[in-house]
Amino acid sequence: MQQRRTLDQPYTNRVLLNGQLDTPRWWAPAVAILGIAVIIGLLVIGAMINKGLGVTGLGRPVYWGLFITTFVFWVGISHAGIMISAILRLTQAEWRRPVTRAAELLTVFSLLTALVFPLIHAGRPWRIAYWILPYDFARGIYPNIRSPLIMDPVAIGTYLTGSTMFLYVALLPDLGNLRDRTTGWKNSLYTVLALGWRGNPRQWKMQTVGGILLSALMLPIFVSVHSIVSWDFAVVPSVEGWHSTIFAPYFVIGAVHSGVSAVVTMMALMRWLWKWDDFIRPEHFDALARLLIVVATGWLGFTFLELIFALYGQDAPEIALREMQMFQWPWNMLFIIFFLTAYAIPVPLWLFKRVRTNIAMMFWTSILVNVGMWLERFLIIVPGLARRTPFVYTWEAYRPSPVEWTIFVWSFCWVTFLMLLFSRFFPLVPLFEQKESQVFTQDVAIGRAKVPAIVREAD
Amino acid sequence: MASEAVTIGHVAEHAEHAGLPPQIAADVIARELVATTSGASKRFKTIAWTLGLLAIVGIAALVMKWIDQGDDSTRWGYIAALVSFLLSVTGGAPMVAMAPVFAKANWVRPVTRIAAIFSFAGIATIITLIPLVLLLPPLVTEGARRRTIWFEAPNYSPHVWSTLALVLLLLTGIMLFYSAAIPDFAAMRDHSTGWRQRIGKKFARGWVGTDVQWRTLRMRIGMFGTFYFLILVFVNFLITTDFGQSLVPGWRDAIFPMYHTVSSFQGGVAGVVIALWVARRYMHLEKYVHLDAFWSLGRLLFALTLLWIYFFYSSFIVFWYGRSENDIATLELQIKGPMLYAFVAAIVLIWFVPWWILIWNRVRRSVNGMAIGASVILVGLLLDRMRIFVPAWSVPPEQIHEKWLRTIPDTIFPDLFDALITVGMISLAALIIMLMTRVLPAVSVWQVQEFNLIAKPIKYIRGHASLVAKPD
Repeated sequence: MQQRRTLDQPYTNRVLLNGQLDTPRWWAPAVAILGIAVIIGLLVIGAMINKGLGVTGLGRPVYWGLFITTFVFWVGISHAGIMISAILRLTQAEWRRPVTRAAELLTVFSLLTALVFPLIHAGRPWRIAYWILPYDFARGIYPNIRSPLIMDPVAIGTYLTGSTMFLYVALLPDLGNLRDRTTGWKNSLYTVLALGWRGNPRQWKMQTVGGILLSALMLPIFVSVHSIVSWDFAVVPSVEGWHSTIFAPYFVIGAVHSGVSAVVTMMALMRWLWKWDDFIRPEHFDALARLLIVVATGWLGFTFLELIFALYGQDAPEIALREMQMFQWPWNMLFIIFFLTAYAIPVPLWLFKRVRTNIAMMFWTSILVNVGMWLERFLIIVPGLARRTPFVYTWEAYRPSPVEWTIFVWSFCWVTFLMLLFSRFFPLVPLFEQKESQVFTQDVAIGRAKVPAIVREAD
Repeated sequence: MASEAVTIGHVAEHAEHAGLPPQIAADVIARELVATTSGASKRFKTIAWTLGLLAIVGIAALVMKWIDQGDDSTRWGYIAALVSFLLSVTGGAPMVAMAPVFAKANWVRPVTRIAAIFSFAGIATIITLIPLVLLLPPLVTEGARRRTIWFEAPNYSPHVWSTLALVLLLLTGIMLFYSAAIPDFAAMRDHSTGWRQRIGKKFARGWVGTDVQWRTLRMRIGMFGTFYFLILVFVNFLITTDFGQSLVPGWRDAIFPMYHTVSSFQGGVAGVVIALWVARRYMHLEKYVHLDAFWSLGRLLFALTLLWIYFFYSSFIVFWYGRSENDIATLELQIKGPMLYAFVAAIVLIWFVPWWILIWNRVRRSVNGMAIGASVILVGLLLDRMRIFVPAWSVPPEQIHEKWLRTIPDTIFPDLFDALITVGMISLAALIIMLMTRVLPAVSVWQVQEFNLIAKPIKYIRGHASLVAKPD
């Protein structure tokens, strides 16, 4: 399905820069409301740090709950950027063009948000320094570099740094464009950020090579981040349901499923809010939905393997856990919602082209996926800890407290708030990609038919 | 403009070296490619006879091994490894033809036929599997049910379903081959003589290239390709669990079926690279099999090599750090003693060496460099299969119901039968592929013709590029 539009450069500039050169009327109220929500969230976090983790529902044996689930969730969402931007760039998928910037942004902001959760989960965040830095040379106490507590921040920090660079390199031509269209302090800001961008052949070449190199370099980091997060669980044989060799790729493909769905949600919002109908078209949703069908089905395969090999061992505690997860209240309800929302409802719907090209349907189904994927993480992390085991004298069901729910909601407000702030200063759809696409698309005559064609290096 | 334009301008410099698609008349393509099926050279005949003799010796050795060691399943680990190896290469190769087609990649066009031909070599896999099915213990022995994926299923479920799945894979692979070959059978009908023309007429089924026929052809390829992929994953799942994991008490590795599938794709790509290298060199197909095909296969092989190490490491680290009794026993079985050498060699040959070879663009863009890289991977793959399946089959049947492996069995070393069977069955697979290139051209006629139609070399800024049509 191809819906090409001939869009000249002035039109592209005017429409795609409408967030920076003008302020949409809805922008200020939206930012104000989100800002208030963010401040409330920060106050709750402050209060929790002041009072201690007793205000949460956490306790023995469920010491990892909503915070760690949400941490894994946001790390998962962060996989959107590299999946969409780097992989599609390397494979030269033409439909990627309007999607890349939003995906890269989502990566950066969701990683920033994810990092908050282990910090606040520690109860006394300043103590994190003890885990990472050698703090007592005299007594020879050093951090254990093999610990996930070291590897997680290293992996996520590297991913965040790389993603930010990736975003910035792709932003350079648009910064040059903005510099030439602004005055006053904004002009000064863009002048500094544009790094002298003039768009000469040398700069284009360097920007292109830089983008490709960063894409290739980011791929292993992208895979390693969620793998390391998964090994936080998988290398622990003492908790049923965690010690599985499949966790690393299972987490990664789940992250891609969830991240790409989040991009779809964001694309629909961008189209509605900024009225970018000419740039974000049904064909893009169609392509993303096709990608999601493949990814979701792969993810389902991994889910099946994870489950079948959990039962394969025929160990009584493992079977008891799975029974609890799937057949005992309230876990069974969560399990059903998880399965329906992560796969059973959206994927069969996406098989229909009418759904794939219906933006409202894509918006709601992509939200469903992320509801399901959040529940998946919750069902992996909590039941294994919550199951009553022999010789456990403190045992009770885990119920997230209002404090935890508030911080959970805060994370969504925070990411949206950052996105809106970004949109005020930088274009959410890369202008140069759109213009490049216009130049590369042509028609080729085959017999009597004119077929859409694309200029390519010789295949 | 801008970024990719620069890339294209840059790439165009060596595009001349890589060669833009030659604009050859469709009729010439058909005649030249059909002509490659006839008039086998003396070298071809010599190699075919040699492979045929080795295959006969291999089958005879298989029968003799059955007579001599048919009552001792612990001696059949190398044959299980061979089945896994053959399944990987012959089963994985057709996917190489399919996956890029789904992604509408054009580089794959000269590769599709030779990749699809590998399906027929699955016959060698099935022949080798027969004694293993007979030796596989039932689910329940002496009242004890061993751990399998079959849980409460009837006693001989693994035997029946694994065999049926493998046969189904073979049949689907052949159907996939045939679906994509109908226009070429028509080309055989129109451009050859004798038995080839008769075969072409029979199998072309009245193909004249109407719109409906083309639509049906594409639909069939898509349908069989998807079906083939699903069956391939399923077969890998069954073979790895029924003929591997379930024979070792306590070995529980959820990623192993996917690991096997990924290395199957890797083996398939490596096999296709070697077959393409041979076809290009000895059937003089340089005009149709360009460097771009090797370049793209190189990138695919490189990606699969990285994916292999990722899957391998994901499994290994969980056993290594888990340190439960199961984990320790499984690791001791698979990577201790003499198997340590196979383990290290497999990692070096499947990952380390190819990684260092294929990371260089210059190697990926060279026909011989790619062939060397692919050969190294295939040797490593065979060793990897040995270090997995030989220890698994070495566990005595009376121990397989235990919770975990309490005593590590001695390593079984290969005997003459194993060597002859391995060489013989690989020769049989190679022979089948060779003979199939006598029936149909090794490069798909219609794929090349279509590419000529949709890709036009154009001048772009100061260089050259292709204008590639992207029909819906």
